[in-house]
Parts: sequence; structure tokens; C-alpha cells
Amino acid sequence: MNANEKLRQDRLVFYKDDIDAIDKVLAEFLRLSGSKCALLVDKEGHMVTKQGEIKTINMDTISALVAGSFAATKEMAKLLGEEHFSALFHQGERDNIQLSLVGDRTLLTILFDDRTTVGMVRLYAAETCKKLDKIFQTAGTRQTQEGAPSLDSSYGDNAKDHLDNLFD
Amino acid sequence: MVQINFALKEVNCKVVFYGPGMSGKTTNLEIVHQKAPEEHKGELTSISTDGDRTLFFDFMPLDLGKIAGMQTKFQLYTVPGQVYYNSTRKLVLQGVDGVIFIADSNPDKMAENIESYENLIENLTEYGKDVRDLPHVIQYNKRDLPNALSVEELDRQLNKFGVPTFEAVANTGEGVFPTLKTLAGMVLQSINKSEKSGGGGRSPAARPAPAQAAQPRAAATATQQAPARRPAAAPANRKPAAARRPAPAAGKRQAPARPQGRPAPQPAKSGGGESKGFLVAFLVLLIAAVAGVVFLMMQQNV
Repeated sequence: MNANEKLRQDRLVFYKDDIDAIDKVLAEFLRLSGSKCALLVDKEGHMVTKQGEIKTINMDTISALVAGSFAATKEMAKLLGEEHFSALFHQGERDNIQLSLVGDRTLLTILFDDRTTVGMVRLYAAETCKKLDKIFQTAGTRQTQEGAPSLDSSYGDNAKDHLDNLFD
Repeated sequence: MVQINFALKEVNCKVVFYGPGMSGKTTNLEIVHQKAPEEHKGELTSISTDGDRTLFFDFMPLDLGKIAGMQTKFQLYTVPGQVYYNSTRKLVLQGVDGVIFIADSNPDKMAENIESYENLIENLTEYGKDVRDLPHVIQYNKRDLPNALSVEELDRQLNKFGVPTFEAVANTGEGVFPTLKTLAGMVLQSINKSEKSGGGGRSPAARPAPAQAAQPRAAATATQQAPARRPAAAPANRKPAAARRPAPAAGKRQAPARPQGRPAPQPAKSGGGESKGFLVAFLVLLIAAVAGVVFLMMQQNV
């Protein structure tokens, strides 16, 4: 495995063009499905981007919980002989959650209420996941060809001073 | 796994507090939550049992602010320490960028410390990670115990790789922030180092330098002392936690004072019932995690 591939395996990187493309797909999904909001969360629990009515939901917490719950169900699936459950649905009294795996690294998290139906959400979620996967593949190919992105070379050194100020 | 979002100019890293049961992982996180500046911290979420034992994880986001133009955020997790919960520990460890290993200075806990550290190495190996390449530090907690093992002895038995170590009395806050600060610095340095050595547009044909972060391997252990003044009285480590947990939500817990003398860890199930046991455990975790999400949504609708 060369260095660039290693970096790609060790980190998830998104450029503005990627995020813009993802946002466009998510916005279209919300319009078609009638869902309230859609989040893209990586499997480690970091939120990538979001579209829709978010208001006061704590994004960091919900991303961590979504990733945790998906990880738990993946292990359940393995015990049952499946590789994973690619889609999960949680039904609440007013609001519901649909989780769909996109590729192998991110989760499409959809919050919807009775303005739409779970069938409608799943129908458009399946198409949306394919479109998102295509965006990720293009982004990944571009990174392999153009080389891994780089943070500012002073990032690590600046961090030390910053941490001194924060923790002292 | 570090997430770098150039669109939002964000760097997101995951740090896990690891260690045997009751060593002080959750206490460390509670102290961080209690004492971190308001503008830098998020909510502390705990998925725990009725007895306030971590069931799935505790979680807290920490925003370090802008570093070299990038908003740098850490997600801090703890894991359940009991042997029984190894499967769920593995889940939380997925994608970890740095580990703070919390060891118990009680001599009676040494075997558990060693077992937990070996368990960490095993679980990381399953993810294809080598602990020597992962930024990690060891915190020797409960230094206020009258019979606490010496740092030298703890180092001899635990610190195989010469990583930075810290003394702490987590329930008073002593040693908590120095530990986190050093680990955070190591993680952030490792991001930069692997960029310089492995990324930045090099031709794939070029000989790849190691892309992993280099561990600071001191020839001798660099033991950093918590503030020299130790508490005059040496209370038993099982005293009510200083930090209160946030308002309850589904899956979250109120912060009553932790009960003294917690029940012994559950024995591991064995034999054919193991798979069923795991299935039940995961179902419980799933329900708890989803309940947390639903509660958040309900709060939004109120």
C-alpha cells in the first residue's frame, strides 16, 4: 500500500466541491422525500454535512449516537451471519430515523415525521446513497491521482501553543 | 480516523479513554467536562447502567479552536471497562486517533490493568492498528491511595513502549488536563507528520515513508508529575464524583453521587450462551443509543 492509499485509509477528507455536490444531492432528497433533515455522518461519529431543519439538535451528540448504534447493529448482523444491515429504521411517536450505509465509511441519517412515509423515504434514500457513493468514488480517485491533501505545514507546531493556552 | 473537511475547514479526531473497570475513565471525562471552558465543550452524553457504570460509552465533544486556519475538534469517548463488555469496547475503539489509558494504582488492580492494556493491543490489532504507532499515553490514577504502587513499578509492569505517563487523582481533577493536553498534542502532531511523510501530492511510485504517527519513545519513561502538592487526606477512591452529569435524557443519566462500594463486575458468560449474550447486549446498546437520539429530537420539537 503506498503512502497516499495509507492516508486515505487513515483519514476521511472532503473538499468544498465534494461538500457542495453532497449538499445538492441531500437537498434534492429532502425535496423529493418530504423528510425534515438529512445528515451525513462518518462511521466514527463525525458529522460531514447536513441539510434541512436542524434547529436545536446537537449535531456532535447525534452523530456519535448514530455511529454507535450503527456499529452495534453491525455486530448483531455478524452474529446472524450478515455482513451488516445496510439500512435501519427507528420509529418514534412523532419523529423517525432512517439510517442508510453509503459506501463503507458514511451513514446517511434521515429524520422525518408524518409529513411523509417510511416507504417514500426509503425509496429516495436508496437512490441518494448511490449518488453519494458515486461522489465519494470520484473524490477518492481524484485524491489518488492528485495526491493526498495537506494541512498547513505549521499545523502540528501551532497546535502546541494552542493547547498551552487552552489547558493552562 | 481523522476527518479533514476542507470545505468547513474542520479537523475532527477521536480520542478514547481506555482501561479496566472503575479505573477512572468516566471520572476523567466528567472532570474535563466540568472544567473545560464553556465555549470549547459540548454536552456530556453517557450511556450507562442504572448503577452509573458505563454501558456503551460516554461522549463529549471538545473544540480546540482554530489551529492553522482549521477548526480542530476532538470527540472524547470512554469505554466500559469490564471484561464482559469487550465487544462494545471494540466498537467504540473503531477509528480511534489517540488513546488515554487509565490505570488503577491499587496493587490489587494490577492484573486488571495488564489485562486491559493487552486487550487494547488486541482490539487495535483487529482494526489493523499497531499500538506503537498510535498516539497514546498512560495515566496512573488514584495516586492518593495509601497503598498505591510506585510509578516505577507501574511503569515496569505496564509501560512496555515507553509512552508518556502521568500521575493523577482524577476525582479531584489532579492530572486530568496534563494527560489530555499531551495526548491531544501527540494526535495533532501525528496528523501533520503523516501528511509530511506520506501525502501532499507525491508520486505513488515514490518510496512511501511511514504514514503513521511516530510515537514519542523515550529511552526512560517521561513521568510527568501532577502538581506536587498532594491532598492532605488520602480518601478512598470510591467517593462521590465531583462532576454532575447533564440533565437526563433517554439513555443519559442524572448524576447522583456515585454509590460507595459498587457491585462487582458481572462475570463473563461462557459457552454456547455467549452469542446470545452478545446479541442481547447489542440490542440493549442499540435501544439506549436510539433512545438518546429520539430524546434529542423531542427536545428540538418542544
